[in-house]
Amino acid sequence: MEQFLEILSPHFLLRNAFYAGLIVGLVCPQVGLFFVLRRMVLLGIALPQISNAGIAFAFLLHTLGLHFFYHTESDKAMALTGSIVFTFIAIFVLAILARKQKAFTEYRIGFAYALAGAASILFVSWNPCGKAEVLSMLKGEIISIPDIYVWSMLTIYGAIFILLIGFHRNFILVSYDHDMAITIGKNVLLWDILLYLIIGIVISFGVMTVGPLVIFGFLLIPTIAARIVTRGILLLCIVSSAIGVIAALVGFYISFRFDLPTGPTDVILLCVILVILYIGKIFFRLKR
Amino acid sequence: MKTNNCITLKDVSIGYNNDPILSNINFSVKPGEYVVLFGPNGSGKTTLFKTILRIIPPLRGSIVYDNDKSPGFGYVPQRQYLDEIYPFTVEEVVLMGTFGQLRSFCPIPKASRALGERCLKDVGMLKTKSMLFAELSGGQKQRVLIARALTTKPTVLLLDEPITGVDITARKTITNLITSLHKKHQLTIIMVTHELHHIPEFVNKIIHIHDRKLLLTTREKIISASGIDEIIHYRHI
Repeated sequence: MEQFLEILSPHFLLRNAFYAGLIVGLVCPQVGLFFVLRRMVLLGIALPQISNAGIAFAFLLHTLGLHFFYHTESDKAMALTGSIVFTFIAIFVLAILARKQKAFTEYRIGFAYALAGAASILFVSWNPCGKAEVLSMLKGEIISIPDIYVWSMLTIYGAIFILLIGFHRNFILVSYDHDMAITIGKNVLLWDILLYLIIGIVISFGVMTVGPLVIFGFLLIPTIAARIVTRGILLLCIVSSAIGVIAALVGFYISFRFDLPTGPTDVILLCVILVILYIGKIFFRLKR
Repeated sequence: MKTNNCITLKDVSIGYNNDPILSNINFSVKPGEYVVLFGPNGSGKTTLFKTILRIIPPLRGSIVYDNDKSPGFGYVPQRQYLDEIYPFTVEEVVLMGTFGQLRSFCPIPKASRALGERCLKDVGMLKTKSMLFAELSGGQKQRVLIARALTTKPTVLLLDEPITGVDITARKTITNLITSLHKKHQLTIIMVTHELHHIPEFVNKIIHIHDRKLLLTTREKIISASGIDEIIHYRHI
């Protein structure tokens, strides 16, 4: 209990990692529910990996002395740019190809995932220095997050959270019944573009801050778990974010208490919650 | 341009990627009419239906609405096209019809909820309001989708295969429901079906899509022209 109170203290040394986890736990499930409901789970796995490759590529360029920005040599700015560029190019290309030939979408996403995974490793291995730092970022070592990152994350993810809540009805209608949305006068293309833009920003910024594994875990698992126990889309949104926040909170405590890496601990905890809810539902059904 | 028709199609060609499925379509629908688009699967009924709804743009020609203003369309899709992974309650599905009128960032007003309940009551589904849409039977889902279309306060109700794949009792209930909406509320009805015995006796127009042509016809003419085998063929497509 003492350790738990220590984590909650504003002077706690690793508070930024704790706050980042809570922000990811709250916001990512709201984006992830569109991956689950639109049956794009594979894309939810591939995009963080592609973003990851973008970060590794940017680090490689930085190490080789090639900078995107002449006035700053910040490797973090480079990495964020790499993440954003790779993610948006992937979304754009996959979306165009999906419109032209929907039947092969899964193949293409699988291909993109494999390519991005292999490319990330090669970019890191070609990087003559800073391999440890790059690997730590790619693995999602949440521990060392500077203040500026937490504030940026709060601002960006906060704005996205507000947009998702405010435009929730439009995103849901366009995802569920495209034709109905057109019939009642919604600009389907505009809402789709806005949703993909949000997905791109959440993934590229999130992967940069907490790594692909954590982002993938918090995007998909809370929604899948919440879907097991909820009735109604509103409840699904609330419960999925609640699961995300609880996993971030308890996961951080466990990792701190037992000296474990935070990202994988959070993801394992999410999986445990999912399995418990699933088994609980089966027991509940049998009892009835 | 003021006409007596609520929808007029003039030399319209429909299809995808500049490849016409049906060409030179000319017909009109008057307010309060009950029109059936009838034809086998793959004949272009749903494409025509979606073109009228402006979901798909016509390849050629024009669709003129009364007073140059599109009538309020109530759209009832084929229920199997709606993915059951979405854990919507019946109430949430019905309220979608009001989304066109609602502002973003505002909660759903009480008036919209009341409208949703009224429409659910009209189709006899109010008791299921808290149930999951995915848990309903085919016939019940269809009635909920009709309620959703009614919440858009339509003047024209367009139904895509509303009684396909439902049991006989549900079929009768839905047919009676559509008839009652047509007669009591003077709604213009445009219904798509590929089964002859789904067409009510009293419809104003049957547009038969046959061999890439549109024929204005009657039930009797379809039966006499096609023969018994053909009717069975239509029933089992």
